[in-house]
Amino acid sequence: MSSKESCRTELRAAIRQLSDRCLYSASKWAGEQLVGIELDPAKFTPSNTRFQRGSSSIRRRFRTNEITLTPIAGVSYVSTPVMEEDDAVDGDFYLLAKSYFDCREYRRAAHVLRDQNGKKSIFLRCYALFLAGEKRKEEEIIELEGPLGKSDAVNRELVALERELLMLRKNGSIDPFCLYMYGLVLKEKGSENLARTVLVESVNSYPWNWSAWSELQSLCTTVDILNSLPLNNHWMKDFFLASAYLELRMHNDSLAKYEYLQGTFSFSNYIQAQIAKAQYNLRDFDQVEAIFEDLMRNDPYRVEDMDMYSNVLYAKESFSALSYLAHRVFLTDKYRPESCCIMGNYYSLKGQHEKSIMYFRRALKLNKKFLSAWTLIGHEYVEMKNTAAAVEAYRRAVDVNPCDYRAWYGLGQAYEMMGMPLYALNYFRKSVFLQPGDSRLWIAMAQCYEKEELHMLEDAIKCYRRAVNCNDTEAIALHQLAKLNAELGRAEEAAFYYKKDLERMEAEEREGQNMVEALVFLATHCKTQKRFEEAEVYCTRLMDYKGPEKEMAKSLLRAIRIARSGFPSTDVEHFPP
Amino acid sequence: MAGIIQAPEVFGITPHKVSVCVLLQVYAGPNRACVPYPFSTVSQHNRLGLFLLAHTKSCDDIVDPKLEDLINQLRTIFSSSADWLLDHLTSRLSSLSSPDDLFNFFADMRGILAGFYDGVVEDGQIILDPNSILGIFLRRCILAFNLLPFEGICHVLTNIDFYCKEVLSGCASYEAALDDSGHDLEATSDYENMDLEKLVYEKVTEEIEAKRRAGEKIPFHLHTPTTLIGLVEDFNISAKAKFKESSKAKEASPYAFCVDDSLKDMDGVFLRSNWQIQGFLAEQADAIEKRGSSFSLNAFELMLRQLEKLAPELHRVHFLRYLNSLYHDDYTAALENLHKYFDSSAGTEGLDVASPCVINNHGRFEVALLCQGMLHFHFGHPKQALEVLAEAVQVSQQHHNDSCLAYTLAAICNLLSEIGISSTSPLLRSSYSPIARMGTSFSVQQQLFVLLRGSLKRAESLKLKRLVASNHLTLAKFHLMHVQRPLLSFGPKALMKLKTCPINVCKELRLSSSLITEFGSENSVMTTDGAQSTAWLKNLQKPIGSSVFLEETISGNRPYASSFFAQPSSIPGSVLQHIGSLQLVRATAWEIYGSAPLARINTLAFANCFADHSSSADAALAYGKLIVYLATYKGYKAAFAALKIAEDRFLSVSKSQMLTVKLQLLHEHALHRGQLKVAQQVSNELGVMASPVTGVDMDLKTEASLRHARTLLAAKQFSKAAAVAHSLFCMCYKFNLHVHNASVLLLLAEIHKKSGNAVLGLPYALASLSFCQSLNLDLLKASATLTLAELWLCLGTNHAKRALALIHSALPMILGHGGLELRARACIAEAKCYLSDPSFSVSKDPEMVLDSLRQATEELQLLEYHELAAEAFYLMAITYDKLGRFEEREEAAASFRSHIKALGNPQDEVNHEPM
Repeated sequence: MSSKESCRTELRAAIRQLSDRCLYSASKWAGEQLVGIELDPAKFTPSNTRFQRGSSSIRRRFRTNEITLTPIAGVSYVSTPVMEEDDAVDGDFYLLAKSYFDCREYRRAAHVLRDQNGKKSIFLRCYALFLAGEKRKEEEIIELEGPLGKSDAVNRELVALERELLMLRKNGSIDPFCLYMYGLVLKEKGSENLARTVLVESVNSYPWNWSAWSELQSLCTTVDILNSLPLNNHWMKDFFLASAYLELRMHNDSLAKYEYLQGTFSFSNYIQAQIAKAQYNLRDFDQVEAIFEDLMRNDPYRVEDMDMYSNVLYAKESFSALSYLAHRVFLTDKYRPESCCIMGNYYSLKGQHEKSIMYFRRALKLNKKFLSAWTLIGHEYVEMKNTAAAVEAYRRAVDVNPCDYRAWYGLGQAYEMMGMPLYALNYFRKSVFLQPGDSRLWIAMAQCYEKEELHMLEDAIKCYRRAVNCNDTEAIALHQLAKLNAELGRAEEAAFYYKKDLERMEAEEREGQNMVEALVFLATHCKTQKRFEEAEVYCTRLMDYKGPEKEMAKSLLRAIRIARSGFPSTDVEHFPP
Repeated sequence: MAGIIQAPEVFGITPHKVSVCVLLQVYAGPNRACVPYPFSTVSQHNRLGLFLLAHTKSCDDIVDPKLEDLINQLRTIFSSSADWLLDHLTSRLSSLSSPDDLFNFFADMRGILAGFYDGVVEDGQIILDPNSILGIFLRRCILAFNLLPFEGICHVLTNIDFYCKEVLSGCASYEAALDDSGHDLEATSDYENMDLEKLVYEKVTEEIEAKRRAGEKIPFHLHTPTTLIGLVEDFNISAKAKFKESSKAKEASPYAFCVDDSLKDMDGVFLRSNWQIQGFLAEQADAIEKRGSSFSLNAFELMLRQLEKLAPELHRVHFLRYLNSLYHDDYTAALENLHKYFDSSAGTEGLDVASPCVINNHGRFEVALLCQGMLHFHFGHPKQALEVLAEAVQVSQQHHNDSCLAYTLAAICNLLSEIGISSTSPLLRSSYSPIARMGTSFSVQQQLFVLLRGSLKRAESLKLKRLVASNHLTLAKFHLMHVQRPLLSFGPKALMKLKTCPINVCKELRLSSSLITEFGSENSVMTTDGAQSTAWLKNLQKPIGSSVFLEETISGNRPYASSFFAQPSSIPGSVLQHIGSLQLVRATAWEIYGSAPLARINTLAFANCFADHSSSADAALAYGKLIVYLATYKGYKAAFAALKIAEDRFLSVSKSQMLTVKLQLLHEHALHRGQLKVAQQVSNELGVMASPVTGVDMDLKTEASLRHARTLLAAKQFSKAAAVAHSLFCMCYKFNLHVHNASVLLLLAEIHKKSGNAVLGLPYALASLSFCQSLNLDLLKASATLTLAELWLCLGTNHAKRALALIHSALPMILGHGGLELRARACIAEAKCYLSDPSFSVSKDPEMVLDSLRQATEELQLLEYHELAAEAFYLMAITYDKLGRFEEREEAAASFRSHIKALGNPQDEVNHEPM
């Protein structure tokens, strides 16, 4: 990795260049990373470090290994020269156009720049045209809503833009920004392969445009595609790869990359949020919560990714924290899909499902492709016992992203509720295929097999076994495995699983009905196997409980004593010294 | 349903509707004359009315016709007076240039509706009844316009602009509008068109290419009909030609565009109204089900993709996609789309199975289960199908969906009667009471019978007429194949005579056919209406967009009775289809009972009356029957010629009935000519066609192993043949296929006869005889009697009298209904009887022997059955020798030698291979 200082200079130049071209979100991203680089405390006064956290608690709590700044073996980084601006003095027309653009008068901006030949001007004109087309497209989608739904409106500027950019590219007079533009247009038109090549070209010649990277990422739907991209080794590539791994559900790879990046950008909010995302997918809720608490302290007006935080709070049922969060984002910007989801989550936790559906719907209105809202609406309908509507909502989620295992799982659950376990199995199969490491899915599937209508116990046992292998935190699977095996008359296996379950309960210091059941079974089993001493141990443990089990233990003990006195020889046989 | 997104207004203004309105104005204009201006006669005026009516109802496509097509249609109808009409139409359309024009236009339209102004209606003015179909159409247009926001009106205006421009300027509007012509403009558009097509063509081509390669390797895979290959080659050429163009474009611009064709097409393409689309989709669904795999997969997929893009909330698309992939044997896609359809619409869109009151909060997921069950059935997974259907029974009981329950039960019956079930374990793990009550004490057949009756009763009480009819049909099939046994068998009467009941079969068939008189009361009127309009418009000229659907190959050979006022048949296609399959069952029944002429007549009746309306599987079955008939009664030459014609007609590649028939014919032919290797190969191929799952394709499996045994018999490997026949008998017994058992027993008798063990053969022949008697298999009985006679004859000359009596008893049946081979065998056996009978002297009555021998040789030569023919000639020569007619003796001997020679080296004739 290049030194912090060079990163800093590169980013500073990039921010200026990006905002000159009105690529605001890319420049925002670059700005965040710039501030995220750890400052040299000797050089700066405390007022400069005010925005950076010296008191980061989570880093102390969770960082296990110190990250070194040595680059990954075998990777040599390419330093891309900072781009020189072609016209030092901006033209008057450009200045006018930029102010129009800033006022969101895109067509006007494009018109002003119609005869300008500077690279900046050309890009700005194309970009303005593209945005004008997008704006019109959004409007048309609403206007054209036919009897059978919204038909896909198209951006009418694409054809002209594509033609112009193609000419530019053929002439060789295209700059990286226009290449980005060209890639965007191609992606919109559906020619993904070409779009990918063009975007790679763009990021190789100008790596600091995060928008280009994220477009490229959305075109990498499989690992093979990702690995086949001919990318230069720049530190921006690490950001890209980390984010792409996250999207491709390679969470651990992604985490490793981010932790490595944190060596340089140790104060980047973005990286923290991404780490939280990965941890969330790995279901480490405690850490996610800690990270978000930290984020909230440093960046109190942040809305991005906060819906994930609310999911965690929901799962942990912390009412007050969730309400605090909801209040905060409401005051910051209530018309963001994320804020709507947070409020929806809050109402859902409160059990007011109609209201929460309303908020989720609002989130969808703000962003049609806001996937998690569909899934959450499905959950709400399931809570409201409106299974048909739940099915429809989940299906829409799946249509948006066919890899969303939660929605497939939800579909299965809904059908199971309707008394169609066989049909539900199709969906459970899909969801475990996508997320084979999640014990909850396996347990759900097993329970489906166990249903009275199906009663396919062998298959249920297979599923429970998988669940046990997947580190089943709630310990349902072991107990069920034991029970099912007992039911099928396989005493040895049942005993094995009961014993395991018992060990686990002991380790986790849990008591309860399961414990009693396990003890009763093991006691009787050992007795029938004539392993009296073991049986006695279990019986005496049973004596600690009240109720019929105590009586049972007593009678068992009595029976054991009689059996022992009757057949002393067998006793010796079974328990060699 | 509790739908998440409410369906908005269903009727939208499109340019096509505007031009229909313009024409309506002409039709019902405020002219005083009794025939309005542009029309010279009343009939012309009426014709316009009819034309407009058809346009408001037809459902031949998903999108509105273009102005160009409309103009062409008008030209066809009004050859001379069209000019004024067209001028009026185009000028009126192009005069609509500002929102205000549209306002005024629709305000004018009110004028032609009666009742809007309750002022005086002048004499002779033609006004539109607001409640007529055209009136309602107009009112809906006006209402839809009034509901439009200003943006909507602007869109209508731009759309009308596109709509007209395509005709008026004659070039692609979009590029012209842009006015930014580069040299690669045409290339671009070419490429745009290409993108999807190329993909489709390549896919098809690859598939077929692979098949053809396979065909080249193995000489016997001649099963892909040549026409299909020809068709693909056509595709190839066109695809390649286009591809060349596009690659040229690529060279010109190294970064060629790769554009979805939607971009260009979006303008100038307007969806029809909702129910027109639904009607179209329903028609397509019927077509897919009828034509099976000969329906074009990819062309239809393209259309569905377009429809999905234009109307993302129309979930019916997924159902059609399911059907499409189902009939093209794509299991995963079918299942996926089935789930998608029911998930997104809860089964409430487009299905007209039951009354609307059933629609409740639950949706209709039981229908999803029913469909999934049918899917498993189609793919030959009987176990899964039963499981799913059992769940469907449960869910429909739970949700009180009686009609779905009835359909599910019918589906279960169908499934059970199609597949072989060996075990007596409970069929259904379900709570459905009639079955649950019976327990396991009854045989599978009895359970099935009870289930059938129950399902019939349920359908009757629900007044589901088609279901009743099809249940009757299933019952008829059941009676045909199964011996009736009393359900409660105890006491002295338990030993009842076991017999099938032909009367029951006839009764069920008649009951089933009463459907045709009852269909009128069903509420399918709307769709038939739409279909008529569609047909009417299609007859006007060649189909516009949908010629890909092989319209011509199926019904094209009959000229349309196309006149404007022809009364279209008012019987719905599905009823005709049902009656057709009924006719086929009737033919099958006669075939089994052994009346060749009646079977043939029924099949012919089917082919003539119902072939156009029935499914391609049914039609193929009928053609197969006719071809087999030709082979047994007219010899192979005729049969192979007919087969060629039939193969051209049934382009379907997979699971084809034609293929089975062809293999049967080839096997039979090879056996007769003594080409045992070929016969073996063919019978193996037949065996491979059957699904490996137990209980599925039982008919094919028995057929294959029967033929295997016969091949072994012909190769004189008696013990092996007997072993195969024995195992076949065991299988038939296990799966309750008694009708097949009769022929297996006969085959066993035949094997023992050929092996010279006549005594062992006798019990088999007798057993077969008694089977035939109890199952009413008359022709098979005659042939069993013949075998019995031959066996007696083998035992010695002193049994000749008895054999002769047996033959004589069977002769009427054999001569009336038997095929060439059977007749020849009977004649030879008769002659042998006479010759071996010591009390019969040849010289006294030579014609008794010679006559039948001559007849036998003629028939056998038609069949090219060398072995038997040689025998006949041998007998003939001996007889002539006895009579002292040496010249004729030499002739017969020469024929004998030639047949023996042909039998000895069959390779000589290989190049005469018929196919």
